[in-house]
Amino acid sequence: MTSSSTTATAAFNELIGLADGPRMPDIGDAVVLDDLAKTYRDGTEAVRGISLRVAAGESFGILGPNGAGKSTTIGMLGTLVKPTGGRAWVAGHDVAAEPIDVRRRIGFAMQDVGVDGFATTSEFMVLQGRLHGLRKADAVRRAQLLLRVVGLEEVAGKRVASLSGGTRRRVDLAASLMHLPPIVFLDEPTEGLDPRSRGAIWETLSALRRRLGITLVLTTHDMDEAEALCDRIGIVDRGALVVEGTPESLTSAGAPTLEAAYLHYTERQAA
Amino acid sequence: MNALLLTQRALVQFPRNPMVLGFSVVPVLIMYLVFGGLFSGVSELPGFPTDNYFEFLAPTALLLATVPGMGNAGVSLAADLQSRYFQKLLTTPTGVGSVMLGRVLGDSLRLAVQAALVLLLAIALGAQVETGVPGAVLMIVMGTLLGIVTFGVVSANLAIRTRDAGAVQAIQPMAFLLIFLTSAYQTTDHIDSPVLRTIIDLNPAEYVLRPMRELMLSGYQWDHIGIGFLAIAGLGLLGLPLTARNYRSVYG
Repeated sequence: MTSSSTTATAAFNELIGLADGPRMPDIGDAVVLDDLAKTYRDGTEAVRGISLRVAAGESFGILGPNGAGKSTTIGMLGTLVKPTGGRAWVAGHDVAAEPIDVRRRIGFAMQDVGVDGFATTSEFMVLQGRLHGLRKADAVRRAQLLLRVVGLEEVAGKRVASLSGGTRRRVDLAASLMHLPPIVFLDEPTEGLDPRSRGAIWETLSALRRRLGITLVLTTHDMDEAEALCDRIGIVDRGALVVEGTPESLTSAGAPTLEAAYLHYTERQAA
Repeated sequence: MNALLLTQRALVQFPRNPMVLGFSVVPVLIMYLVFGGLFSGVSELPGFPTDNYFEFLAPTALLLATVPGMGNAGVSLAADLQSRYFQKLLTTPTGVGSVMLGRVLGDSLRLAVQAALVLLLAIALGAQVETGVPGAVLMIVMGTLLGIVTFGVVSANLAIRTRDAGAVQAIQPMAFLLIFLTSAYQTTDHIDSPVLRTIIDLNPAEYVLRPMRELMLSGYQWDHIGIGFLAIAGLGLLGLPLTARNYRSVYG
């Protein structure tokens, strides 16, 4: 084991120790969608009535081609996009009626990385933590630990604007975990990352799940990512949920690989 | 609480973006010096309220700092919307109102300091603030509030619509129009054109500038100060719900 991975492991262990109380209130399902729909003002039906449930501690992947409605769906769950039909609950709170309650319980790393270009990495993360109610000293310590966990200690004092796209993405993800939320939404979390960074993020997310029992909901069109991170997968196309199941159940239904299953279900929808 | 954290963020940003500090105060100070020198003869007109034109011009210069300067709040809002940082903030337990309030408070504090610099320059040029420090503070408060409810509102709405910092910056000259169409450089009694006098009478900024000038030159005219705050409140009651509605129509 190298000294950097030892440091990351120690940081991770300390971080886990900072988690207070039960990670998830005993509410059964962490995320529930009931006929959730979104039609934009220009008439585009981005999401057309998706219903599904994600159990607490589960990792659920929303898989689909570009424009399938993945980002809109996760945007509604993260309270950034207002649904126009149906309902959704996150940690027992209605995303439309109780957005602030939902936000207290989620971390959200967006597809378009939203970072403050004028702030240093550390300042950016500390502010995220403080907006979630952490005291300054706690936020500073957590930012140090999280940066160590994702291997970015050296950029703590650098302006976020000066970081590469991939590094910004990792910083954004780390910032989303500042309050150690019980539910984390990730929109294309490793898109554009090199294999090493991608592996590090997968490892961090898997470890967080194992140790803290967090619920993950992520969108991706990367089959490897879906297989590596997800207990269950829902394939969406043209705003509708085409099929859902475990990676094994999707591949055993006549398709040898997840990619073959994905092509099978999205092509059938296209036809 | 979150609004105050975001105010702090705005205050940390300013020194890191010297363009904001430099371009919002240096041109105003230069304009003050140039116009004060060019039009100094105006103070010799019969009935002019002071023999020191810099004294007369100080409230105008203060508004020239606060009103266009509040456009920076819109520029920053557009930049945050463009970079998606605004949305990132909305993934925390922070409402849209707190994000906007944090930005406005940050810019207000910056503008208050810049307005104080204008008054210090006026004093250095021999002007006196008749009502002293409390009057100066009241002038700065009125000027900053006018900036929020006029150009702050316009630039925020443009930022919401365009998400383009350049577009918001481009409308900055509009703020000067709002101030120039007042008794900024001349008392209304000395303006010959009845059309111009009517425009000035219709301009809400005039009802804020007038008591500010009285605070500078003569004393507290509480009825005029009240009218000034009424004008600010009226513009606020019009502009702030409009901004909220605009935001909902674009992002709701």
